[in-house]
Amino acid sequence: MKLLIIEDEKELAHSIQSYLKSHHFVCEMAIDGKMALNKISTYDYDCILLDLMLPDGNGFEILKELKKQKKTEGVIIISAKETLETKIEGFNLGADDYITKPFHLSELMVRIQALIRRKNFKGNNLITYHEIEIDSLSKTVKVNGNAIDITKKEIDLLLYLIGNENKVLSKSAIAEHLSGDMADMLDNHDFVYAHIKNLKNKLKDASCSEYIKTVYGLGYKWKND
Amino acid sequence: MTKKLLYKTSKVYLIFSVILLTVSAPLFYYITARLYIEETDETLVLHKNEFLKFTAPTLPTAEIENWNKYNRNIKIEPIQSGSSDTLFYTAYYDTLDAELEPYRELNASIIIDGNPYTYSARINLVETEDLKESIALLFLTIIILLLVGLFIITKKLSIHLWKPFNETLNQIEKFEIDKSIQPKLTSTNIEEFNRLNKSIEKLIEKNTSIYHSQREFVENAAHELQTPLALFQAKIDTFIQSAEFTNEQYEMLSSLNDSVSRLNRLNKNLLLLSKIENDNYSESETICLNDTIKKHLDFFLEQAKAKNLTIKLELSEITNVKSNPVLAEILISNLFLNAIRHNISHGQILIKLSNQSLLFSNSGQIQALVEHNLFNRFSKSNPSEQGNGLGLAIIKKIADLNHWTISYSFSDNLHSFSVSFQKL
Repeated sequence: MKLLIIEDEKELAHSIQSYLKSHHFVCEMAIDGKMALNKISTYDYDCILLDLMLPDGNGFEILKELKKQKKTEGVIIISAKETLETKIEGFNLGADDYITKPFHLSELMVRIQALIRRKNFKGNNLITYHEIEIDSLSKTVKVNGNAIDITKKEIDLLLYLIGNENKVLSKSAIAEHLSGDMADMLDNHDFVYAHIKNLKNKLKDASCSEYIKTVYGLGYKWKND
Repeated sequence: MTKKLLYKTSKVYLIFSVILLTVSAPLFYYITARLYIEETDETLVLHKNEFLKFTAPTLPTAEIENWNKYNRNIKIEPIQSGSSDTLFYTAYYDTLDAELEPYRELNASIIIDGNPYTYSARINLVETEDLKESIALLFLTIIILLLVGLFIITKKLSIHLWKPFNETLNQIEKFEIDKSIQPKLTSTNIEEFNRLNKSIEKLIEKNTSIYHSQREFVENAAHELQTPLALFQAKIDTFIQSAEFTNEQYEMLSSLNDSVSRLNRLNKNLLLLSKIENDNYSESETICLNDTIKKHLDFFLEQAKAKNLTIKLELSEITNVKSNPVLAEILISNLFLNAIRHNISHGQILIKLSNQSLLFSNSGQIQALVEHNLFNRFSKSNPSEQGNGLGLAIIKKIADLNHWTISYSFSDNLHSFSVSFQKL
């Protein structure tokens, strides 16, 4: 998968790049609007990460340019500005998702994956991982071909864990992912433990391998031994 | 005790007038009496001189008896004592009125036809009591007229004179620095009030601009912090992937991670507060609070489960209020999380919604919170607590913006936060 990161904060772009690299993402970087427009008109990308505040102008210009060139890349806006107006304007100009700084890289990862799924595999919502098969649209999970009883939140958690395979996920990152809009107010991550425990048990009951590993003190990790 | 300025000035005027008039009344009497006596004496002497000049030379001794018979007030009698002129008070019995009348009398020795006589002239005086009474009555009338006049004039005048002042006062009373409405002070033709208005306008302008720049500073600072925080977060996220760590290192990373997310939350809440202050959420619509509460109920139930809390919902009435929907959601979430956060294990939460108010009651520490500064930023009742000290400040801000009132009470070991929708 090819990604373009348009972000003037080089260090942040590097972090994103190194986090995504292990998941077969090839990332290119543009540190300003001019460079970004050059790359966009020359290459095709699967996904574009766009910072709205660029040294040489507004990120919205890039969205307009993409529209003009009839490009179909999925765009995720990364912005420190979180107002309803900028969000709406972004979506109106063709952005597909909006993530506010600061964010967890794991969150960005699942957002990118979801976007690419939506764009590339039209109508196909199946995600498979060994014996696990997740239908993200009908919200069902099959293990070894047998459907298991699972809540929406647990499916969300499962997708998040699989999407960040082999990555250590801190409890706070998981908590923030699970609580969505409410994350800003959350200061207790105890409920993460309960969700992980439930999911583990359900997968175990369906004789699924134990992929969820506990990382001492920090959080959890999805790993195939 | 405070009293109106009018009362204070009038009081001084009144006391001064009363003292002045009561002191001047006896003085007036004394001076009048003296002038009166002096005038009487002069008249007596004049009469005597006229008598000596015009009457005495033509008055034969034989006629003296006749003279005395027809003149009541001037008598000529054979000399009794050869003294010089004397003026004195005396009293004669008035047979008609049957009372003693005061008189001023002049006795002088005169010579008629070579014989010495005593010339005795008298003038009836006004009775002292009568004079005193008249003067007292006069002064009393003056005092009363003065007081009434003074009162009416000051009252009328002060209403007129103080009108611009009172207008200014009303404007200042209505002024709130966090509202965008600026007071309009009308100019007057009274120099002092004009000065006052100008100084107040200057003061307000200066304070408002300081307030705005401070508000802007908070928002800008919070905004600027987002990028370094994002970088911080991203670096930690990448770093924890890098290798296997020892348990000690994992613990350190975990606490580092918690601190960053706490910092993130704090910053986002600060940003939210300044956004509310900067009127970013000014649009309001009618929303059903029942729906708002139910919308995130699952999330809160989940949070409450970690503490084994019992939640009792009493949504008896469908409650529609006018508010910004985002803010209403934030208000309820904050109240809910507040009730969960400060609760004890196996505690309870009661949520009561009616058309008048929304109440969140929760068990918690066994003594009431200190109400002073409760709703201020960063005023935590317990510094070791997890909260960032902005939750109640945000609740208060949202309530204020909607003209609702938020109050805290503690009874039956329950801490209650009540939002009253009644407009002030």
